[in-house]
Amino acid sequence: MKISTKGRLATTTALATIGLIAGMIWWANQEVEDASASRRLTTELTRGLTELRLVTFEYMLRRHERPREQEREVSARLDHLIEAIPVSGAGQSEVVAHLREQSVAAHRLFEELVDAPVADGATAADAASIRRFEDQLSSRLLILQQESLADAFRLTDFSTERITAAQQRVVIVILAGLALIALTTGGGAWLINRNVLAPIGKLEQATREVAAGNWNYKLAIASNDEIGEMSRNFDAMTQSLRMSFAQIERSNQELAALNQEIEAFSYSVSHDLRGPLRSMDGFSLALIEDYGDKLDDEAKDSLQRIRAASQRMGRLIDELLGLSRVTRAELTLKPVNLSEIAREIADSLAQQQPARVVQWDIEQGLTVRADKALMQIAMQNLLENAWKFTSKTDNPVIRVGAVEHNGQKECFVADNGVGFEMAYADRLFGAFQRLHHESEFPGTGIGLAIVQRIFRRHEGKIWVQAKPGLGATFFFRLKEQGQ
Amino acid sequence: MSEMSKDILLVEDNPDDVTLTLRAFKRSHVMNTITVARDGIEALDFLFARGAYEDRAGAPLPTLIILDLKLPKLDGLGVLKALRADRRTRLLPVVILTSSKEEQDLISGYSLGANSYVRKPVDFAEFVEAVKVLGIYWLMMNQSPPEAVP
Repeated sequence: MKISTKGRLATTTALATIGLIAGMIWWANQEVEDASASRRLTTELTRGLTELRLVTFEYMLRRHERPREQEREVSARLDHLIEAIPVSGAGQSEVVAHLREQSVAAHRLFEELVDAPVADGATAADAASIRRFEDQLSSRLLILQQESLADAFRLTDFSTERITAAQQRVVIVILAGLALIALTTGGGAWLINRNVLAPIGKLEQATREVAAGNWNYKLAIASNDEIGEMSRNFDAMTQSLRMSFAQIERSNQELAALNQEIEAFSYSVSHDLRGPLRSMDGFSLALIEDYGDKLDDEAKDSLQRIRAASQRMGRLIDELLGLSRVTRAELTLKPVNLSEIAREIADSLAQQQPARVVQWDIEQGLTVRADKALMQIAMQNLLENAWKFTSKTDNPVIRVGAVEHNGQKECFVADNGVGFEMAYADRLFGAFQRLHHESEFPGTGIGLAIVQRIFRRHEGKIWVQAKPGLGATFFFRLKEQGQ
Repeated sequence: MSEMSKDILLVEDNPDDVTLTLRAFKRSHVMNTITVARDGIEALDFLFARGAYEDRAGAPLPTLIILDLKLPKLDGLGVLKALRADRRTRLLPVVILTSSKEEQDLISGYSLGANSYVRKPVDFAEFVEAVKVLGIYWLMMNQSPPEAVP
């Protein structure tokens, strides 16, 4: 059963019990009121009967017209009272019927007494018989009236009993009702403890276990209520978490295996692929050196081409390894001063080609939070590109700085070199993609692929704006910017 | 093993590389005797006068060992480890000459006690230059450690 259903049931029971108690009190009140009314009537009846007896005595003594009238009046009043008495129960109705009969009988006897001959003026013998008759009549009348009084008292007793019974019943009902309410409350508290608080404790323990990484923890509360439902949902949730976790673990293992393969592959490339190139270059040179006098210019040129190609392939392999190293490198994020790095690279480039005059415009205090080694590689590639592609420009300017865009700092490396058509911009960041001929601008076409990979590893972004003949500006943004 | 020769032990399995290295030495006028070992075990046999080199017992150790890393049987790092573990060879100058410039190889090489680490360039002219510098430095300028330090 659901907890909400149990709660509703307990509330309904308590309310019904309270209603029952209230009903019982109302009923008992009615009963007491009825019984009181009835007792008032019987008291009046008793008083009437006593009055009737007095009137009868008075008449018997004096034979006056007034007590006779009074008897009639009291009799009639008593008849009304008898009819007015509410009858409940067989015993009571019997008593009332008896009372009614006696009242009729008593009245008839009184009438007989009234109609009886008077002893005064009669013979002694007649007077004596008349007296005997009168005595008989009055004795019977008094007995009847005495019995009626007894009946009236019995009726009073009935009413009193009714009141007492009603009061007792109210006490019993109240006690039973209170017991029922106590039972409902206690039962409710016990049920709440067993069905709600204890399972919530278990649930709390379970969340703690799962939070600590125990994915195999099972709650397993079997009840059919909301908590049971929640427990099943919780278990389903941990199971799906467990499965996701296992899936992630598997993927991670696969990734690690893949990484290891890549590592082994790079190692092999680094060691084995360069060997044959060395042989090609070395033995070509040996031919030129040892047999130069026997070779014509074309043969020498061919050998030079073999050497140039070998060396170029050596560079390509190195750069590919560089790209793979950038992918595998562990990131150590620290504040990195880009201005300093740019200045050092600019100085080193100027030293390598002192004949070139380039205006460097490097903003001071450019700091980003990144991996220093990778940022150095990225800046090296970007600045070398700018240096290279301004080599045919008059008054070359290379600028390094930052702009604020949508509340985020975007750094840039800008040059006024050859630039390119924006239509090719997407291809620019692919490995071995070049927009110029090697004879125009030397290079392997892997530098920007490395740069892009570095920013991706930082969850950052790099993009470019360029125009042919006007130069190119590379913007980049890192996920987390330093101060 | 009483005195130091001025010999070089070249540990290299690739015959092309052997030829080219010898050529480079010749071209840079390094005239010392060069012995070639084709794998790690052969190198150790030569140095410790074992197996095929038993008759070398008592012969002087080379002045310089030029060691490739990728070798059959026992690789260059294994050879280096064995050399540094032996009292007789623990101070012998060892130059690693290899294709790899992987960081892990550099770190392992130096931590196992290599004296120098040179990467073989593809350009043979550069290679000759490197070998020349190596020869001048290790065979002429460098003072070898005294032998059999206790």
